[in-house]
Amino acid sequence: MLDVAHITFSYGANRILTDITFDVAPGEIVAVTGPNGAGKTTLMKILACLLMQDAGTVRLQGVDSLLRPVKYRRSIGYLSEHNPLYSDMTVQEYLTYRVRLKGERAMRVRRRVSEALAVSGLSGMHNTRIRLLSHGYRKRVSLADALSTHPKLLLLDDLLAGLDRPQRAACGAALSAASSRAAVVVTGHELDELLNWCTRVIVLDRGRIAALFRTSDFDRAELTARIDRLLVGQSNAQGVLP
Amino acid sequence: MKAIQVIWLREVRAFQGAFSCGVPVAAFLAVYGWTFVMTLRNNEGSVLQIQSIWGLSAAPWLPLLSAVLTMRLFAEERATGMIDLLLSAPIRERDLVLGKFLSAMTVIAVTLGLSLLVPVLLLPALSAPLLAPAGAAAIAATALILLLQASTWCAAGTMISVLFRNQAAAAVSSLIVCSALPVAVYAAILAWLPGVRTSVAWMPLLVHVYDFSTGLFMTSVITLYVATTLFFLFACSKLLALLRLRG
Repeated sequence: MLDVAHITFSYGANRILTDITFDVAPGEIVAVTGPNGAGKTTLMKILACLLMQDAGTVRLQGVDSLLRPVKYRRSIGYLSEHNPLYSDMTVQEYLTYRVRLKGERAMRVRRRVSEALAVSGLSGMHNTRIRLLSHGYRKRVSLADALSTHPKLLLLDDLLAGLDRPQRAACGAALSAASSRAAVVVTGHELDELLNWCTRVIVLDRGRIAALFRTSDFDRAELTARIDRLLVGQSNAQGVLP
Repeated sequence: MKAIQVIWLREVRAFQGAFSCGVPVAAFLAVYGWTFVMTLRNNEGSVLQIQSIWGLSAAPWLPLLSAVLTMRLFAEERATGMIDLLLSAPIRERDLVLGKFLSAMTVIAVTLGLSLLVPVLLLPALSAPLLAPAGAAAIAATALILLLQASTWCAAGTMISVLFRNQAAAAVSSLIVCSALPVAVYAAILAWLPGVRTSVAWMPLLVHVYDFSTGLFMTSVITLYVATTLFFLFACSKLLALLRLRG
């Protein structure tokens, strides 16, 4: 479904991503992890058409992100790392605006918003102003936005950051439900939770894929230990840890 | 077309509750009202018609109003990060730009409509008997040139707003482009081309307002404003595309 081939990206002379290649099948949840500055967010921005790669291709069901960007973007749902929202709107107003903006037919807008509210656990808060919501609920609104139009590809950047354990579990449940009809790429540092849902883990190191694990091939504890060893090794190499 | 409408609606609603809309509109109406009364007083007994006074009083303040209204259009989205969500939606950059531009133009059209209340309310108490009554066509012609000028300022302001995360910086830059630049060009013409001094005794932008208000339509003037507006909007959509290139 999603084919990422030989992606390279630089900010000026600073190489951020080098030769990133992977694919994601429908129903798969791929977690991308790595230390800060490894290039996770840059990769997600390229997959979301927010940055243009220097080389390489991104294709979703054969649709190239650079050649047919509007058609490509019609099939994605994106949750941004910084979780931006229009604070002056209510949850329902915001989701209605976003669903309309994504080109959903008028007759389906209300249904899509209701579904997104239900799956994100926001049904009782639809009339609440977004500025009154806590960080966790704001994250849920963003997740509802990403899920709202049943995208074929879900891109969730730092989904679990700043959430408490029940909220992480709620996000995980929503994500598992969504993965039945979509390919999912999720980034983050919360390895324990991510391993509960994901089918593969990509470890990024200074813009390169350092390792790619299929979760079904490993015992949970062994996989965690391997990834931890990789991350600690990278941190040491970057001089972050003593 | 649908995306333009969705963005336009969102922005118009955002304007309704925004501090950056109510205050500048009120300030515009205040300074315009003062200019109107002064122009009326200074031209008592002259051939200047009421729609000309309306146009000539409003036109000089339009760049200021446009700069303040457009400063938040993209600068705020960039500051909050909402620009990422807008650019990842399946809409073209030009639709995004047009939706936002049209929302600012809507506020300006409403403001110009409100500004007509000043002559309606003031004339009975002032020198109305000395002036010829304005016809609907004359008012419409004056409104047309004011909207054409405003569209140029708004398009420039929208484009400049893409360049900044800070709204105040966007407004100041927009003011420099929309007000200081035309005045500087005009001053340069007066200083370095004395031969044309008599033919540009008035600021050309105000001459356009006066001509339209007296029924003197020129397609070249309409073309000038439409082309300038389209240029700024085109540049704005290309700048948004550039954001995608380098973040």
